[in-house]
Amino acid sequence: MEQTVLIRQYKKEDIAEVNLGEVWRYAGYRGIPDRSEKELWSQLEEVLRLADRELTYKVVYFKSRTMAFQHSSEDLEKHLKDCDTYYLFAATLGVGIDRLIAVHGRISPVKGLLLQALGAERIEALCDTFCEEIEALEAEGGKTLTMRFSPGYGDLPLEIQTDIFRILDCNRRIGLSLNKSLLMSPSKSVTAIFGARKGMEENARKKWCTHKCASCPNTNCEYRGK
Amino acid sequence: MKVYDYLKEHMVYLDGGMGTLLQNEGLQPGELPERWNLTHPEKVIAIHKAYFDAGSNIVSTNTFGANSLKYDDEELEAVIKAGVYNVRRAAELSSGTQEKYVALDIGSIGKLLKPYGDFEYEDAVEIYAQVVKLGVKYDVDLIFIETMNDSLDTKAALLAAKENCDLPVFVSNAYGEDGKLMTGASPAAMVAMLEGMHADAIGMNCSLGPKQLAKVVEEYLAYASVPVLLKPNAGLPRSVEGRTVFDVLPDEFAEAMSEYIAQGVRIAGGCCGTTPDYIRAVVQATKEIAPVPVTDKGRTLISSYTHAVEFGKAPVLIGERINPTGKKKFKEALRNNDIDYILKEGLNQQEKGVHVLDVNVGLPEIDEPEMLRNVSYELQAIIDLPLQIDTTDVTAMEGALRRYNGKAMINSVNGKEEVMDAIFPLVQKYGGLVVCLTLDEDGIPDSAEGRVAIARKIIARAAKYGIPRKDLIFDTLAMAVSADSQAALSTLKALQVIRNELGCHTSLGVSNISFGLPLREVITSTFFAIALENGLSAAIMNPNSAEMMKVYYSFKALHGLDDNCADYISNIEKYATVAAGSAVAAGSAGAAASSAGQGGDAEMTPEDELQKAIVKGLKEQAGIVAKKLLETREPLTIVNEQIIPALDIVGKGFENKTMYLPQLLMAAEASQCAFEQIKKKMSDSADKASYRGHFVIATVKGDIHDIGKNIVKLILENYGFDVMDLGKDVDPSVIVDAVAENHVPLVGLSALMTTTVPAMEETIKLLKEKAPWCKTCVGGAVLTQEYADMIGADFYGKDAMATVRYAMSVVEAGN
Repeated sequence: MEQTVLIRQYKKEDIAEVNLGEVWRYAGYRGIPDRSEKELWSQLEEVLRLADRELTYKVVYFKSRTMAFQHSSEDLEKHLKDCDTYYLFAATLGVGIDRLIAVHGRISPVKGLLLQALGAERIEALCDTFCEEIEALEAEGGKTLTMRFSPGYGDLPLEIQTDIFRILDCNRRIGLSLNKSLLMSPSKSVTAIFGARKGMEENARKKWCTHKCASCPNTNCEYRGK
Repeated sequence: MKVYDYLKEHMVYLDGGMGTLLQNEGLQPGELPERWNLTHPEKVIAIHKAYFDAGSNIVSTNTFGANSLKYDDEELEAVIKAGVYNVRRAAELSSGTQEKYVALDIGSIGKLLKPYGDFEYEDAVEIYAQVVKLGVKYDVDLIFIETMNDSLDTKAALLAAKENCDLPVFVSNAYGEDGKLMTGASPAAMVAMLEGMHADAIGMNCSLGPKQLAKVVEEYLAYASVPVLLKPNAGLPRSVEGRTVFDVLPDEFAEAMSEYIAQGVRIAGGCCGTTPDYIRAVVQATKEIAPVPVTDKGRTLISSYTHAVEFGKAPVLIGERINPTGKKKFKEALRNNDIDYILKEGLNQQEKGVHVLDVNVGLPEIDEPEMLRNVSYELQAIIDLPLQIDTTDVTAMEGALRRYNGKAMINSVNGKEEVMDAIFPLVQKYGGLVVCLTLDEDGIPDSAEGRVAIARKIIARAAKYGIPRKDLIFDTLAMAVSADSQAALSTLKALQVIRNELGCHTSLGVSNISFGLPLREVITSTFFAIALENGLSAAIMNPNSAEMMKVYYSFKALHGLDDNCADYISNIEKYATVAAGSAVAAGSAGAAASSAGQGGDAEMTPEDELQKAIVKGLKEQAGIVAKKLLETREPLTIVNEQIIPALDIVGKGFENKTMYLPQLLMAAEASQCAFEQIKKKMSDSADKASYRGHFVIATVKGDIHDIGKNIVKLILENYGFDVMDLGKDVDPSVIVDAVAENHVPLVGLSALMTTTVPAMEETIKLLKEKAPWCKTCVGGAVLTQEYADMIGADFYGKDAMATVRYAMSVVEAGN
């Protein structure tokens, strides 16, 4: 059985370009502001410039034939039904974006807000890049991937983070640490699990990527994607 | 022979990877490797022995993650005891004839410290201290702190080691592909901090293969005056048929290590993926190489958590503005604990181009130790410049230095016995570059010779504390030339002698020279230029002075310190003559006015213009137009007739979903610019009268996200609330105390995660008990009306505007 915990470090060019519509959505804007809203756009451009050098893109993951941790979540069980390979991963943008948010949140909340939104968009983009890479590998064996499932989804408790951090040794490998309240530091980070199986509907993950919020029960959420 | 003595004459070889070998023996991911010291001692001993057989001098105990976060006290002691025993036993069993030592291996506790994580620095020190004490108890030969990827965490571990043992301490950091630690520190910054704290050997391990570490090794060798250690991975790991393999093989590894050893690395080993074969290959390949002697590089460095600043190249500018002396507003900010005001002074100076921030918060009526610690901490949370801790209060000095992330400048010591005996022990313990004033019990000598004599005395005394002269920077004291026409000459002459004959760096508070003269900037900046020419390394100065900045950029260009005059060209226009400067200001006002005109409202009145600027979120313009309006109208009239209505337009737009959060915030920021102009005009009493009421706001205990809280605070302030911001991760008792003390009618609490909602509930409970008059309103990503009801909150604020509306209703009901 495979026992390898591996690290992937991506360059900016490896990740999809910033999806500005997503950034605006995370910032609480419905749609995309008209280009005549020069002040809004100049704020975003400034934020993109500030963040450009500060972002790192790191992933640590563990591939296994059996689930890497014990759990009693029915939702996760259902989610991974028929899978014969499991991927547990943690991804982070590093502490640089947190520093920017701290500085600008204090002197210009609008920049703080946009940096926060950009961080949310970038960490999702990083997860997508990583999953696409694995998807291509698994496709060689005729398998497709499930969607990503994170602690806190459905009935999978946040407490499972403790196990995930132990298995992936996140701090040592990618500088990610778990706080007492189970928040992650740096804040723009994700942990998730997904599986690979044969005979799954073609491109199911792609569909998911266009509508990540589909499985979330909070239908009133103002950030909910369409 | 003790390891440190052995190291003086010999190359020292470390061991190689442990984790990878344990995994080959069956260790599962997630299983605690240190437990194997007790459950599989034979396997652990066999690995240690193989390293001794291969030629390692130092083998580290299998205790990387052994600390109280992972083990209870009893098991921790057992794990460490067995860990030490296993290495000792391996040394006995080994056939190797080399000198053998046992190192207590200490890895990171794996928690990000405040402010970016939630872990307390002093708690980290305590955890490391417990491990160190156990190592000492079971008689290790040295402490090996390794794979540290954060500078403050490294400092905590080193401090714990130094406070709890006299053993040699080796410190090794893990650098990423960008040549920095995960939290951003450069090699030079780490060298500065670790040497300042007297680490006995420093270097790098893990994360990369030997070749990828070339730049990091080079930087260490250039800066470090202590032995440099190197323990790289066997290249990068990948997975082949279910096993982890590394891409650098023993011979290639040894070849790369040989080169580094020839360049000056004195302690060599391997990390992940390396095995006894790698160590054997390194020993074989390098045993004929004569170790390069370790020399004092004589480089004067200070550091922040990201970078080092070196003295002796380009002049170093130390911003003097964080200091209450002669500043009414600053004093007021200190009394009101208005940290934001102080941070803005810091950010402003950073923008102006200073390299170091002097931090002085001494006022008789405040608790200086607490204030200095807080301000240094808050400054380091948002500004990456090194700080100069400036106080005469020794307790305050120690508190700030202990928590400081990096190697600080220390202001100051002088030739007085009492002062040297108080300050030098702190420098010895925490490291630092000390400003030494050339005065003593008899005052400031008039002559240069007298000042130089004091400098010699200080150098000698510092040496007794193990503080090298490169960590002393002399201030030969600029005195008013208006009082003594020879004043500048004595200062300059002493400066020259100290720089050229004693070989120390120098710093001056240059502006004292012009005291009592008109147009002070002119003579101050001229003196600055002369002092630089005489060898001045740094100046404590006001970066808002255009004259000073002109001298700085000119000096650099003229002294070959500015390639192609690039800095001069890109900066000098900002500092163009005063007359031209006012033209620039007028120009931008004109531009702003005309850009408003482009909106198609050529006939707009200034009143309309202000409203529009706020609604559109045009910050600069809002300030400019408000200033213009104030020439003809009463401040309060402008607030009530222009600013509030403009905010209402945006607030209602937000509520009706025709405008969104970014626009709401931009309007709020723009109106703040207008408010700033208005505040300047208003007397204190009128200022207070305009307030609607007090509001305490905080992110609850355990939660370190504060963007939502900051947004609500800004909007509340716009609507005239006096908001007391207690920050993030705030203990319930702190919130209750603040409310009770000021009889505050309203509290806003923010929480991002379900796991921190209980802290919110606890806070509300305590408030109901101790401050029953106070209404609570809650918000944050996970909050819902149901949640809010469940934890007993009076109101659920779904967004910033909802909170404002509620706050207004509470205040109105109270009137």
